[in-house]
Amino acid sequence: MSDARPIPEPDADLEKPVIDVDALSLWYGSAQALRSVSLRVPERRVTALIGPSGCGKSTLLRCINRLNDLVDGVRIEGDIRFRGESVFAPERDVNALRRRIGMVFQRSNPFPKSIYENVVYGSRIHGSLRRSDLDGVAERSLRRAGLWDEVKDRLHESALSLSGGQQQRLCIARAVAIEPEVVLLDEPCSALDPIATARIEELMQELKESYTLVVVTHNMQQAARASDYTAFLYLGELIEFGETGQVFVNPKERATEDYISGRFG
Amino acid sequence: MVLSLAGIIVFLVAEILPLFVPGRVVPDARIEARARTEARARIDAIGSMTAVVVDPRRTHVATLREDGTLRVLDWTNGSTVLERELLAGGAALVAPLAGSPGVAGIAADGRAVIAGIDWRVSYPDGIAEVTPAVASVMALEVETRGAAPRALSARLDPGGATLVVALDDGSLSLVQVAVDVNDFTGEREETVSATRISTPAPLDHLALAPEDAEVFASASDGRIFWWEVEDGTPVGMRQARSEAPVTALEPLIGGRALLAGRSDGVVDVWFALSRGRAGRELVHVRRFDGPGGAIGHLAGSPRGRSFLAAGAGGSLGLYHSTAHRELWTGHTGSAISALAWAPKANAAAIASARGLERLRVDAPHPEAGLASYFSRVWYEGHPEPEFIWQSTGGSDEFEPKLSLVPLVTGTLKGTIYAMLLAIPLGVLGALYTSQFMAPSLQRVVKPTVELMASLPSVVLGFLAGLWLAPRLEAVLPGMLLLLPSLPVAVLLAGAAWRALPARWTLRFQGGEILFQAVAISGVVWLCVRASPAIEAALFGGSFATWLHATTGLEYDQRNAIVAGIAMGFAVIPIIFAISEDAVSNVPRSLSAASLALGATPWQTMVRVVLPAASPGIFAAVMIGFGRAIGETMIVLMATGNTPLLDWSPFNGFRTLSANIAVEIPEAPHGGTLYRTLFVSATLLFALTFAINGAAELVRERLRRRFSGA
Repeated sequence: MSDARPIPEPDADLEKPVIDVDALSLWYGSAQALRSVSLRVPERRVTALIGPSGCGKSTLLRCINRLNDLVDGVRIEGDIRFRGESVFAPERDVNALRRRIGMVFQRSNPFPKSIYENVVYGSRIHGSLRRSDLDGVAERSLRRAGLWDEVKDRLHESALSLSGGQQQRLCIARAVAIEPEVVLLDEPCSALDPIATARIEELMQELKESYTLVVVTHNMQQAARASDYTAFLYLGELIEFGETGQVFVNPKERATEDYISGRFG
Repeated sequence: MVLSLAGIIVFLVAEILPLFVPGRVVPDARIEARARTEARARIDAIGSMTAVVVDPRRTHVATLREDGTLRVLDWTNGSTVLERELLAGGAALVAPLAGSPGVAGIAADGRAVIAGIDWRVSYPDGIAEVTPAVASVMALEVETRGAAPRALSARLDPGGATLVVALDDGSLSLVQVAVDVNDFTGEREETVSATRISTPAPLDHLALAPEDAEVFASASDGRIFWWEVEDGTPVGMRQARSEAPVTALEPLIGGRALLAGRSDGVVDVWFALSRGRAGRELVHVRRFDGPGGAIGHLAGSPRGRSFLAAGAGGSLGLYHSTAHRELWTGHTGSAISALAWAPKANAAAIASARGLERLRVDAPHPEAGLASYFSRVWYEGHPEPEFIWQSTGGSDEFEPKLSLVPLVTGTLKGTIYAMLLAIPLGVLGALYTSQFMAPSLQRVVKPTVELMASLPSVVLGFLAGLWLAPRLEAVLPGMLLLLPSLPVAVLLAGAAWRALPARWTLRFQGGEILFQAVAISGVVWLCVRASPAIEAALFGGSFATWLHATTGLEYDQRNAIVAGIAMGFAVIPIIFAISEDAVSNVPRSLSAASLALGATPWQTMVRVVLPAASPGIFAAVMIGFGRAIGETMIVLMATGNTPLLDWSPFNGFRTLSANIAVEIPEAPHGGTLYRTLFVSATLLFALTFAINGAAELVRERLRRRFSGA
């Protein structure tokens, strides 16, 4: 498969992308993980990244908020523009960027603090110290994550006392508490049972009213159910990108069809 | 593990326990007095006046009684092995000699005699046999002018003799004999000098100090007097008043302390303090309640600060002055008329109406006790009670000072100075290395620091004591300047690195730390070079002199700073390695979550990594603390081992562990010092145990708090 692959038909959403991935290549040491990936993420939509393990979905996701900076020996070519500005520019304030692009991880990772402290962590480090402000942030975020009713009486208990699904929703609440523009979700349901997964998917539908969501998933049904756009990556290359209905019902590429129908992956 | 621990504890307790067992005084031989009706004589009935002397092997006893005759008796069968008339016509007063075997007596007309006894030991069949002999007899004449002698004390000196007599006209006569032996002819020439002074009151009791030229006396009204003898004359009288009339007077070994038995049964200890010539003073130091009844006789041990006190009706008590301990009290059955220690202080003899009795004195560790270890003790010659460790001295008269407080303080002092260096460097170094350092540099730094731990502490101590200490002394003002200038330099270097163009800083991964290293070396070099100038300008050319003049602090070359640096060096790798593990073990997902929320790496470290790693860091600090407390070799070599109670960084100190190492070679097995060292070992053990226990509790609480479990 060559670099000259045509980008999928732009539709109205894709005219004003929030994130514009432009011919992004990435190497971990000498191993190339992404090969000239180009992708436009539309605003207030759920974009799913699918593909077999090791295809570079998570790597791509972590490039968007530059969390790959933490990995030793990463080399990047190409660019990602967030609202038109390169995220890799030397003068770019990474912390400010990450504040605008929140992230939820594959395995829930609440801090070993109370539920309340987890939610207001971002507000605290960004300087909001008024108790009433923080209380408002906590309630609003927990409500948005659909967790408020379950935890409102135990806000000061340890976050680690919550169930797995609750912990993941707490992480979502923590991410949306600082009012980001984009939320990246890295296989948010892979460690959860079907009921908790359904809750999260429901939540994603509610969240896309306010945020742009990019979700990495292994679960075809989830991508089909919960996303508006789907990108299929294979061996570091973007094979196909388009509206979810089109990608699943009428894939343009053979590899996409094979993967979706479960012939490999 | 538990078994071996229990074994150690049992062993320690077994070594320590004898220290706290009081003494025993057990009768083990007796020479019966002849009843008047009894035909077979053993010895004549003993009246109220006797001087008793026992030989070092406890085989014989010598007595001088009213009849003026010296008799030496064998304890085994009561037979008289030597008899010599010293004062024809009987004695008015008799007394054992102070400080050497022998007796003195004076007749009513002023004829006096001093007789030394020689206990000659021969080994005819490989068994020691004691043959008593009268070594020297000095006959003297005391001018009485018709007054009757009331009190007597005498002493044989290497070059002569001293005798003091109190007369009932209120005068005190001092007679000194100087014996000059011509080296060529062997001729003896005796020069006698006598002086007579009048005293404020007729004296009841007299006591010559065993060695020094001091005379103590007491009057019936309870006054106690003290003279120094200068050119054969008692001068510089000092007096003090006892709360009750004094009935017996006896100096303790060394002559700096005086025992005064009172009619109300109390034994007071007075110190003859000399704070310069004008500052001589008799000071009441402590009191013992006595064995019961008015104190009739006192005897100070020839080997230490133990003493025997005989009360009315035959009560007897064994005490130790320094330790303020009552070791034993009991009853001998009949009123005691004389009391004497055997020279090795392992036995005593008493005379009573029933005869002579030999007592075995079994008190191996009289100077020990919790009070001697942990309380302020008023030692002889000191102006006030103090905490002092000084276990051995040059002479038998030395008063062991066994306070463990300076050693515990020294241990904590050394540990604290070491931790002052090691905690910031170890913990912050670990945080920096694991959170901010470039991974390529990390791979070099971690094993290097861990290699530091393998340096033998004897090498560190050697370097600190012999290399670092003199150099530090030479540039001390510069080193003090380094305290404020180093952090400033580090911050400035950090700021400068940030100000450099990004294209340079990004190219050299880990360049920041090298940049810092250059800045730090530069500041150190500057401070060292500037040191002589600073010393000349601010401290008048010598910091140590300036320090002493302005603050009164002494500067020792081997001091707490040197020891702190060396011990800190030993502790840093431990703290670093364990802290680094703790920090690195914080799940990456937690710091990723924090960073993804827009937190800076610093915020992430302070708010997420540090709390999560805190139990491990705390454990690291505590393990380092335990290492520093038990550290021996470095403090032994780098501190000067001065057991001072002082927190000054410019002074040395002595730790419990170094003390054990220093003193165990000179502590006889089973002796008080030996067992006291075991007490200090137990204390060290308890200290580390308590610290580790407390640390474990705190760590558990931290763990629960920050892991949320």
